[in-house]
Amino acid sequence: MKKHLRKWLTGMLVALAIIPLSSCSLPGLSGSGQNTVRIAAQNTTEQQIMAYLIQGMIQHYTKLDTTIINNLGSGNVSFNALKNGDADISAIRFYGTDLTTILNEKFQRDPEKVVQTVTTDFQERYQMTYFKTYGFADTYAWMVRPEFAKKHHLETVSDLQKLAPQMTVGIDQIWQNRQGDGYPAFQKTYGYQFGTVHPMQTGLLYDALAANKMDAILGYSTDGRVASYHLKLLKDDRNFFPPYDASAVTTNAVLKAHPELTKVLNRLTGQISLKTMQQLNYQVDDQLEEPQAVANNFLKKNHYFSGGH
Amino acid sequence: MKDLNLINQLTYYFTHNGLYVLQQFNRTFLMAIYGVLLGAIVGIPIGIWISQHRKLSPAVIGIANVIQTVPSLAMLSILMLGLGLGENTVIVTVFLYSLLPIIKNTYTGMLSVNPHVLDAGKGMGMTRWQVLTTIRIPLSLAVMIAGIRNALVVGIGITVIGSFIGAGGLGDIIIRGTNATNGGAIILAGALPTALMAIITDLVLSFVEKRLTPKTSSAR
Repeated sequence: MKKHLRKWLTGMLVALAIIPLSSCSLPGLSGSGQNTVRIAAQNTTEQQIMAYLIQGMIQHYTKLDTTIINNLGSGNVSFNALKNGDADISAIRFYGTDLTTILNEKFQRDPEKVVQTVTTDFQERYQMTYFKTYGFADTYAWMVRPEFAKKHHLETVSDLQKLAPQMTVGIDQIWQNRQGDGYPAFQKTYGYQFGTVHPMQTGLLYDALAANKMDAILGYSTDGRVASYHLKLLKDDRNFFPPYDASAVTTNAVLKAHPELTKVLNRLTGQISLKTMQQLNYQVDDQLEEPQAVANNFLKKNHYFSGGH
Repeated sequence: MKDLNLINQLTYYFTHNGLYVLQQFNRTFLMAIYGVLLGAIVGIPIGIWISQHRKLSPAVIGIANVIQTVPSLAMLSILMLGLGLGENTVIVTVFLYSLLPIIKNTYTGMLSVNPHVLDAGKGMGMTRWQVLTTIRIPLSLAVMIAGIRNALVVGIGITVIGSFIGAGGLGDIIIRGTNATNGGAIILAGALPTALMAIITDLVLSFVEKRLTPKTSSAR
């Protein structure tokens, strides 16, 4: 009898040690407690900066605890974290990506329609709220050196038409054969093709352009190197690239539990322009500053956006 | 930034992000400590128990051994399926890995107590419980601490890997460094404090261990 009791006691001890871990948080670590808002961030600079911006805002305006679930591998992983209840807020999601990857809808170009579809579908299918965009879009963009743009009076992608046959351009490897918004479709939409095309790793493109090895590249609009090399982005005048406007997404559950969050997140709406994001990315990627430090400085400089909305 | 050498970049990094590094240091340390503490709370009683019921020891130590053979990244991912993302999963992982060194050391410590001392205790009319609490446990404390020390050093390593499942900590800095174009300084900024943490805890606990090592009568 006594032996049995001991066995039970040991078993209970093990169970007791594990069970509370999945429901509450330990001192010093803001975990998954009742009043903790968990922000999911992917493993890119931009995601992490935005996650710390949201964290800073929540800490400034509310008494809630926050924690960041960092380094998630892809948009899908961070979406599933929200869906499974591991996280409450996704720091950045893109309408364009979510339309095709999460919702499995057909590829669309009309920005308003995409925003509409994604917002309502997220609400209905997944009970998640898509906030209005922060004000920047991380999308493919054609970019050239500033001197080159001045010399040929370049403003839009259409302006490249005459020069295209003599141009050497660098593009992302994936983009070359991509369906929907890849190079073949691009040729159809704009009606021209480039003389020499070098598909290469995205990270190398910017340096190649700056080093005069290329005339134009297809890069990401928010990359910090756009700011450091003062590259000129050409306007996508035929709306070829789908809208990749960046927004915060939250679960409806967390908004219900903490209604004040809506107001806090809305303060960021439209406040971060493409230029600002490039600057912030540049500080992290080139200036050895941590996303958290960059985000906090930015918030202080802007007085936590207390004026707007 | 590129024209600075690695050491200068590192100093620059620490002056600009010192607070952040400190926060992450704290976080990593706490996660490891909590995991090992839970391991001690559960492991030490189990170790004592199997030293009293020696028939059970191969089974218990065998189970702990099997847990140890699972690669830490795999363990994290498996637990993640059940416990979700974040630091709690990491703490449970550290807990599981700390079981073996703690149980094994407690067990060995309990058995390595000089049988003559135990006989003396029994001869004085001590109950089994008294022998356990006044002779066996105090005399094997040093070996138990050695187990905890082992567990903590392993735990710090696991906690750093925990960054992959969103737990944060110094691993975040290392991962960011591997993603950045010139991330050498950032990687070091994450790796050096981690190594320092492991070395310091190891030294501190080895000091505690020495203090607790029972002095033999001849040494007195």
